[in-house]
Amino acid sequence: MLATVLTKNLLDRWKGIAIGAVSIGLLLLMGMSAYRNIDLSLYTSMPEAVRALMGIAEDTDAGGLAYGAIYASYGALTLAALALSMGSASIAGEERNGTMGLLLGNPKSRTHVLASKAASLIGLTGVGALILWAFGEATPALLDVQIGGMHIAALAWHMFVISIFHGFLAMAIGAWTGRTGLASGVAAGVMVLSFIGVGLFPLIKGLESVAKVFPWYYYSATEPVLNGVDWGHIGVLFAGIAVLALAAVVGLNRRDLRGQSTGVSLIDRLRANPMTKKVADRLAGSARVSRIWIKTLTEHQGLLIVVSYVEFLIMGILIGPMYNWVDEFLIDMGKSLPEGLLSLFGGGDLGTPEGFYQIETFGLMAPIAVMVVTIAIGARALAGEEANRTMGLLLANPIKRSKIVYEKTVSIVIGAAIVGFATFSGVALGSLIGGLGMSMGNIAAICLLVTLLGMVFGALSLALSAGTGRPRFAAFGTVGLALVLFVLHAFLPFSESLAGLAKWTPFYYYLTSDPLLNGMHWGHGAVLTSLFVGLVALSAVLFDRRDLRQTG
Amino acid sequence: MTEQIAIHTEGLTKHYGEVKALVDLDLDIRPGEIFGFLGPNGAGKTTMIRTILDEIRPTAGRASILGMDTHEQSVEIRRHIGYVPGDLAMYPNLTGRDTLTYFANLRGGVEWSYVEALADRLDADLDKKVGDLSSGNRQKVGLIQAFMNRPDLLIMDEPSSGLDPLVQREFQKMMREVAAEGRTVFLSSHTLSEVQRVANRVGIIRHGKLIAVEDVAGLRSKAIRTVSIFFDSPIDGSAFEGLPGVREVSTQNEHATLSFDGQMETLLKVVTEQFHVLDITTQEADLEEIFLTYYRDEEVTA
Repeated sequence: MLATVLTKNLLDRWKGIAIGAVSIGLLLLMGMSAYRNIDLSLYTSMPEAVRALMGIAEDTDAGGLAYGAIYASYGALTLAALALSMGSASIAGEERNGTMGLLLGNPKSRTHVLASKAASLIGLTGVGALILWAFGEATPALLDVQIGGMHIAALAWHMFVISIFHGFLAMAIGAWTGRTGLASGVAAGVMVLSFIGVGLFPLIKGLESVAKVFPWYYYSATEPVLNGVDWGHIGVLFAGIAVLALAAVVGLNRRDLRGQSTGVSLIDRLRANPMTKKVADRLAGSARVSRIWIKTLTEHQGLLIVVSYVEFLIMGILIGPMYNWVDEFLIDMGKSLPEGLLSLFGGGDLGTPEGFYQIETFGLMAPIAVMVVTIAIGARALAGEEANRTMGLLLANPIKRSKIVYEKTVSIVIGAAIVGFATFSGVALGSLIGGLGMSMGNIAAICLLVTLLGMVFGALSLALSAGTGRPRFAAFGTVGLALVLFVLHAFLPFSESLAGLAKWTPFYYYLTSDPLLNGMHWGHGAVLTSLFVGLVALSAVLFDRRDLRQTG
Repeated sequence: MTEQIAIHTEGLTKHYGEVKALVDLDLDIRPGEIFGFLGPNGAGKTTMIRTILDEIRPTAGRASILGMDTHEQSVEIRRHIGYVPGDLAMYPNLTGRDTLTYFANLRGGVEWSYVEALADRLDADLDKKVGDLSSGNRQKVGLIQAFMNRPDLLIMDEPSSGLDPLVQREFQKMMREVAAEGRTVFLSSHTLSEVQRVANRVGIIRHGKLIAVEDVAGLRSKAIRTVSIFFDSPIDGSAFEGLPGVREVSTQNEHATLSFDGQMETLLKVVTEQFHVLDITTQEADLEEIFLTYYRDEEVTA
């Protein structure tokens, strides 16, 4: 059984792992070749502390920077994300698909099934880590870049263990609850928050050690790429993995298996209660199904609420007061950094509130937050209905295919706007609470631009969804493309000859004008809007031309 | 009621790469009839339905519904049809009522009282989430969805899967009522017994090819029956020799069993004239047997 389940999982999943790992490998290749054009004096002028912070060895060639900036963070995040999606699918996914009963129809215990799933999770993550290791070793050789003192194998090993940790976390939650959404949501939340936490807390005097509560700390804190494997930290992660494995076994064996049923949400309880039935019915029932776009938005309400909440509270409000606590030393150090290097973090100056917000909130997290929502909506918009076999019913109604595309587009726009507005309110409040005196108009401008940026990638996933009818392809394709474009955007400006090419990435039209300092750049807004409109029109054409898929 | 041909296809063909899912299909469905579209799994029934609904586009040929081109005028067509997809799936998080409200909103012009009446007839629970319903109860929601706008043409792909016998009977009654009002039912199925009960005509599809279109009444006349007769005294098999339609005879004392496909009237006349009959039972061969008898061969020769 173990071998059978393992084989099936390998066959189901190897593509995702391979594509993920190879894309990250290609990013490294691109990043490193971009670095070759950088003026080396940039690094020799950097203070020792900064080099350590960025994961750059003292005696390294410029190429080594690529490991710190790309591999250590994006590589690990990608591999961990793939592992946690496998983990959440392993038990809860089988239940959702109604195949768990079939699996357990065989004379094997639940623990046995769980063990098979765990083995395939470990195996596949291992394959991913191996690919990352191979790319890490091969790329410098290929580009003839010296990477003295870099421990690629140690980095890959740390990546593997932190990814297994997140995979097991998702698997344990799935095993306890049988809910894939909850499992992947919580595990991804833990991953993102701990990634942020590990970056943020060391900047704050007196709170440096708080970072140790985050699992990510035990992956990155000792800079494995510079210092080799830290077996103590690996041990901490393995202990965590063991606890999670035990939790999964206990959780799966103690509960009733779920059918394909959907579970009870708060609104369901309200609808069941005669006191609140009327209001809840209006809210959940008639209003929810009055339009295609409203229904589409409500399908993503959980994601929207979580993302908006994180953006509002953590990335918005909390960052403001936190600015006042940031270590003076770090601010001084930030001022001494070469300007070009800062673009990696969204190009902000740690010494000003605007720069701090740009690094912490707008550089990476805000675009990711909006894009997570828009890509999720866009990818599932058309292809999701096909995969769930509801498109046939929808199109049995007297509406044009293009009308469905436009309705789904409306939900992308509103989804992006909600996250954009949550970010705006959070940052505006954070600035007020922290007494930072940032311009409200400028905050609105940067939030509008990030909303537009999210809409562009939402429309891209909509186009892939419309063209292929495959939701996973649409989602992963867009994420992959976004990642490539982002890295290009960050690295191209380093090279004088290639800097002009950055204009070809949508990210250029988001932060390049420094909207937090200079206000709205309407020209850039117009470029993003045109891109969005063009992609939506393309989606309508693509969707209208092809055969609907019968299954997912 | 519309006088136009309900469904018309001309050389309708759909290939998926090398796979010929539908080959040169010519078919006319008359208004007011219940047409049974029969074939084994994978014969091309669903492909045909998805093609005429403009979900997929034909490789060759054309089709029209109620006189309108299935591609050019697909939106207008969908105002007049009700559709139950095979392997029905709906939104698991919505209740039946939400689901029907959603589609009623998209469609417009649905009378809610009629929806309630349909739900009553089918004994459907509209307050539960679709995801929590058994497949039969989910199917009821799908049926209501198709009937609720009183369509001129109902296209249903394996609609009674999962329904219990009582509900199946009610559903058949609903189909007959639709036909009686001059509206049309296109019913795809692989279970012949259901089609046999409601359909006026049947088409048989195999490997993407339409191999026969027959009146159900005509098919029945082809039917081989098993006739058991009990006499008051032992009987000899030779007594039935030479009777038109008698294929095989076996006797056991007072009991004779005939395999018979002639006129029942002639048989009864002859038998009652000569012998004293105590009891007679005939078992009608269902369409299943007829197909097995007639079309297995055709498929081989085709």
